[in-house]
Amino acid sequence: MTRVTTATRYELGVQSLQQRQRELLEIQEQLTTGKRVNRASDDPAAAARAERAMAAVSRADADKRGLDSSRNAMTQAESSLGDASELMQQARELLVASGSTTWGASERADAAAQLRALRGQLLSVANRGDGAGGYIFGGQGGGGAPFIDTTLGVSSVASGGVQHTASDEPVPLTLDGRTAWLAAPRGNGVFETQAVTNAGAAWIDPGRVTDPSALTGDSYAIAFSVAGGNTTYSITRNGAPTGVTNAAYEAGRTIQMDGMAFTISGQPADADVFAIEPSTSDLSVFETLDQTIAALDNPNANLGQTLQAVKSGLRDLDSVIDNTGAWRSQAGAWLNRLDSSERRLGETKLAAQTRQSAAVDVDMAQAVSEFQMRQTGYDAALRSYSMVQQLSLFNYLKG
Amino acid sequence: MTSSALLSIGRRAMLANESALNIVGHNIANANVPGYSRQQVDFATAAGQLTGQGYYGAGVDAQTVTRSYNEFLTRQVASTRAQSAYDTTRAEQLDRLETLFAGGAEGLGAAVGDMLNAMVDMATHPQDLSARAVVLGRAGELAARFATAGNEMDRMQTGVNEDLGAAVLQVNSITTRIAAVNSEISLLQGNGHTPNDLLDQRDELVSSLSQYIQVSTLESDDGSLNIFTMGGQRLVLGSTAVPLSVVPDAFDGSRMRLSVVETDGPRPLESSMLGAGSLGGMLRFQNDDLATARNMVGQLAAALAGAVNAQQALGLDLRVPPGVGSPVFSVGPPEALAASTNARDAGGNFVSQVSLTVADARQLVPSEYSLEHDGSNWQLTRLSDGLMTAVASGDEVDGMTIDLGTPPALTGDRFLLQPLTRAANGMTRVMSDPRSLAAASPLTATAAQANTGTGEIAGFNVTDPSYDPQLSATIAFSSDTGNYTWELRDRVTNALSSTGTGTWSPGTPITLNGFELALSGAPRTGDTFNVVRTDAPAANNGNALAMAALRDQALVGVRSDGAGGVAGGATFSDTWASAIATVGVRTQSAHFASEFSSQTATAAVTARASVSGVNLDEEAARLMQFQQGYQAAAKVLQVAQTLMDTVLGLQR
Repeated sequence: MTRVTTATRYELGVQSLQQRQRELLEIQEQLTTGKRVNRASDDPAAAARAERAMAAVSRADADKRGLDSSRNAMTQAESSLGDASELMQQARELLVASGSTTWGASERADAAAQLRALRGQLLSVANRGDGAGGYIFGGQGGGGAPFIDTTLGVSSVASGGVQHTASDEPVPLTLDGRTAWLAAPRGNGVFETQAVTNAGAAWIDPGRVTDPSALTGDSYAIAFSVAGGNTTYSITRNGAPTGVTNAAYEAGRTIQMDGMAFTISGQPADADVFAIEPSTSDLSVFETLDQTIAALDNPNANLGQTLQAVKSGLRDLDSVIDNTGAWRSQAGAWLNRLDSSERRLGETKLAAQTRQSAAVDVDMAQAVSEFQMRQTGYDAALRSYSMVQQLSLFNYLKG
Repeated sequence: MTSSALLSIGRRAMLANESALNIVGHNIANANVPGYSRQQVDFATAAGQLTGQGYYGAGVDAQTVTRSYNEFLTRQVASTRAQSAYDTTRAEQLDRLETLFAGGAEGLGAAVGDMLNAMVDMATHPQDLSARAVVLGRAGELAARFATAGNEMDRMQTGVNEDLGAAVLQVNSITTRIAAVNSEISLLQGNGHTPNDLLDQRDELVSSLSQYIQVSTLESDDGSLNIFTMGGQRLVLGSTAVPLSVVPDAFDGSRMRLSVVETDGPRPLESSMLGAGSLGGMLRFQNDDLATARNMVGQLAAALAGAVNAQQALGLDLRVPPGVGSPVFSVGPPEALAASTNARDAGGNFVSQVSLTVADARQLVPSEYSLEHDGSNWQLTRLSDGLMTAVASGDEVDGMTIDLGTPPALTGDRFLLQPLTRAANGMTRVMSDPRSLAAASPLTATAAQANTGTGEIAGFNVTDPSYDPQLSATIAFSSDTGNYTWELRDRVTNALSSTGTGTWSPGTPITLNGFELALSGAPRTGDTFNVVRTDAPAANNGNALAMAALRDQALVGVRSDGAGGVAGGATFSDTWASAIATVGVRTQSAHFASEFSSQTATAAVTARASVSGVNLDEEAARLMQFQQGYQAAAKVLQVAQTLMDTVLGLQR
């Protein structure tokens, strides 16, 4: 039998009251903060989990800012390329009009002036800024605007490639201006026809591929000779004669060679030479316009030269318009990808928030019922304490 | 028989009962005195007197006063109290420490995350000064939080020092009083009675002493109690008390240790031998918990500063002309602390000069080291796990280089190496111009426009500060299966510097001139990739991308794999999360321990009280018992008187 002593009884009573009060305070803190884990020692593993989740949340926020910038840049790129396409279409219409045989030198000079204005507008589109000090077509960056206009034409001074954001899925902040503006395929995309010497009034069309398997990728030259009213031509391949030598020329008749077909129209002069070169991807809208403007501006140009310039100009403009359209859809594709990137990012963030909440947040219903239970417990402890402390033998020894 | 015998019996009974009543009163009076042991009067029947009719009893004698006492239970009270004080003290200190290891937006982890996340915005707009200013602001906040955490730990150390001082004063006052009680008790020895109240007082003093320091006791023949620490150092011997004092640690003067002041000088007490008691709890907190906390915060600070500064050195900043990035942070340097007992020269300066430098902040281990000469080698002991390594001057161990000085340190000298302890305290942002942030990569990689394959640049990083920006690299693929030739040419004169061949395989970057170029897709014969100096660093974000990528790299606590590389490690945010967990677990278990040991202490007090404590109801009953005894004895006297009167009346 353990003896109960008076001082201990008081002491233990007070201690258990304090214990109850502590427990009550604990659950009250959880209720008021809404958190089950208010300090790491409440649940160290959960606290660490919540910390990791919080890092993931703030990281997702930062990545989101990166995506927003990319979206901004791609939207601007898309609309800029749209503007460019429109300007190029205008140039194309002008060019079509200036191919008219009824136009004189002064009308063509007017067209050249209009083309010059369009060229200036295109350059300013290409050098458009992104509103934050960078350039939409800046590639990997340069000292200033990505394109400069020199006497030799427009060239890119920015580094190629693209600038990326620092997000988990790198998305572009710029487009590569060199490839978007200066790298359309020449000719019809496979070969390029050109007039090398054009003293007469003949012109060559862009040609087409009739048999892809027969293509050689070599350079060809079509040399004309006019002797005694007979016009003939010979074709050389890389300088070496081919089977076509001194063939009779008939204007507008298609010539076929090694899987290629092209048409030369009009009347060539003696020693006129046309060439066919493999296509390269370095055609720029500015170069096209520059050549066309130069041809239209030349008051001494004969009809053949003018029509050849218009013909080549149209062919080249179509190529750059195609290229611009391709880049425009590329920007659109990026915008689509950004949507899905952003969705993924949102899911990541939500998952992290859920993880964080699961780790440290309190289950309110459970906490409230726990609080009521502890409150009842404390109440009972207070009552029993005050009742027990009233009992003493001395109370019965009165008198 | 005479009526005087009856008178005598009655008188003795009255006296005995009265003394018992006195003791009951004494018990009631002391019911609430801590450590008081219930006393009682031992009654003994007085020896009978032989008469012709046999033995006649002579009544009762109050022999002595004894206390209800159990030595084992009393010792239990003292030792459980010591354990409880130890655990409670440590838990209280850890509670304070834990606030520094908070998670959430106010924590160190969030500051690290915010700064590196700001790099994302700088990467998006490398030429935007406001994005750079945000990075710099976050960096300042980060450094300030680390320094504040370090200083807060300094304040906790100061608090520990003050608490130790106050506790030692208490200990000395208690041991002096025990010595005084000892001398009183030994003076009273031999009179056949126990000085109950003095013994109670001494037991209570021992119990109070145990609250500060765990002791063992040994009673000597003269009744005095000798007190020893758990390490066997005497604190009280008879009537002499040996005072304790607080002295600075032999290595780290900011830390304290205990020593006893013997007549022949101070003698240090090994902290680990101190056992329980609040002094032991404080020293355990100081030497283990606080030291670990400092090391963990320091490790993160040093690794972060190291990584950011190293990445900064690989980039170009926005100044005109662009320069190589300067450090963003500086942290407190590693320290090699000499023992105060090391040899000194005539001027009083230490002869041996050992110094530490950080070689690779990623490899630093959150531990202190002791450096000692074992007779043939300098032995470095990592204190966190006891790993011993023999070192020579200039050796690199765990990311730090140890310099034993010239001439080398003296045999017999000892050092404590603290690579990380002060790192957080000294953390500052040393950069003030947002333009100095190196967002640009010094080299730019481009794919040639004429490339026909699908090979693309998947990643490009400058990884070695020894890159030469004057050299332009060309990598030309000579087959469709990844064979390539490379050339490094002077960017101005185009003079060939070096050339070679290699084979690229997907997933493995091409390493050249301090850069790493990762390709994806399938490059074809004739495809070329160029790496040239970045001409316009203002618009380039290559290094900012690398800075933001620091978030994902394991840069803290990596190990050398023995082959020049590194393995293991954790990211910054994981490091902080596990630091939170470490301190959380320590605090939690300290609380569990403190709850458990205070329950044990309460149980011991209750157990002792059940033997020695006063129950007022019981005393009330005894009060009545002895009151009635006293009244009955008085009745006996009255009867004896009546008898006497009767006899006297016969003679009349």
